[in-house]
Amino acid sequence: MTIPPLSDLHLAALGAGLAAIGAGIGIGLIWGNGLQSIARQPELLPKLQVSMFIGAALVEGVALFAIVICMK
Amino acid sequence: MAFRFGAKHQVDDPSKRQELVQEFINSHVLRHASDHHSPNLPFLHVPLLDWLRYDWVILPLAVVLMVTVATIAARRHKPVPTGLSNAFEAYVVFIRDQISVANLGHEEGLLFTSYFCTLFFFIFSLNIFGLVPLCSTATGNINVTCALALIFFVLAVGTTIWRRGLIRFLKTFVPPGTPWLLLPLLVPIEVISLVVRSAALMIRLFANMLAGHILILTIVGLVLIFSWYALILVLPLVVALFLFELFIAILQAYIFTLLSAVFMGLLLNPEH
Repeated sequence: MTIPPLSDLHLAALGAGLAAIGAGIGIGLIWGNGLQSIARQPELLPKLQVSMFIGAALVEGVALFAIVICMK
Repeated sequence: MAFRFGAKHQVDDPSKRQELVQEFINSHVLRHASDHHSPNLPFLHVPLLDWLRYDWVILPLAVVLMVTVATIAARRHKPVPTGLSNAFEAYVVFIRDQISVANLGHEEGLLFTSYFCTLFFFIFSLNIFGLVPLCSTATGNINVTCALALIFFVLAVGTTIWRRGLIRFLKTFVPPGTPWLLLPLLVPIEVISLVVRSAALMIRLFANMLAGHILILTIVGLVLIFSWYALILVLPLVVALFLFELFIAILQAYIFTLLSAVFMGLLLNPEH
């Protein structure tokens, strides 16, 4: 089986996919730990929600940098 | 501009058809995601003036909406506000307590609560306009988000210099308790981190809005590649993606405002 010649578009799609892996792992870690701590102390829910959303936005920001670079 | 696919272009060669479909997608479907000069449906072309871009029509529209809502809501009808005034008051109290005073402290929090109210409502209305059928997403244009991030940057640095003085502003770049040898390495990193945080605000909002639109347009393009039978799978998926994009619009506006407040608070009151 021969490998087809890689063009810029192929590599860009590969890079975007790898960035999505990083985003998925990061957000999963944040919300997983957040859910555990909510289960331990349910009265901390409002404060934890704010922190979780900030963390998720930062992680997605990094993944979106990578995607924006892949688009060029 | 009208490109009626299939009527005049009956081709028997399958590879030629693929080419035509690709050209149609690139020219008409994905054009929604770039700066365009007119509201475009495939059969309708309303030309704006030459120097006018469609995003420049949406931006004043959002401002007019904001000013109208705020003016109507701020009129005092009764001692206890009802209806729009009540909702607007709940919104302003939410921003003042959760975003402004929590991050900036009491006195600057009250100064900047109007800025954060305006910022949140503006970004939220721009994001929502992108989902209306004949409008374009102004925040999907990186120049708009760059302007918003620049305004935040100038405001944060200017406020720190105005309220704390230039010496305290320069001291925020030096974390307390670092050995003297590390300073030439650490201070440029701190300065760069301030600039990169504002750039991250800009890119986060821009990429989230643009990615939502490109995703929906790409999946709609799937219908064009495989003929109309793909609609069974694509239509629920596109509806779900649209709802998700609505949620992301609200969330990204909130995140922009919240992170602006957090970064401004970090500049004004560096943690000891």
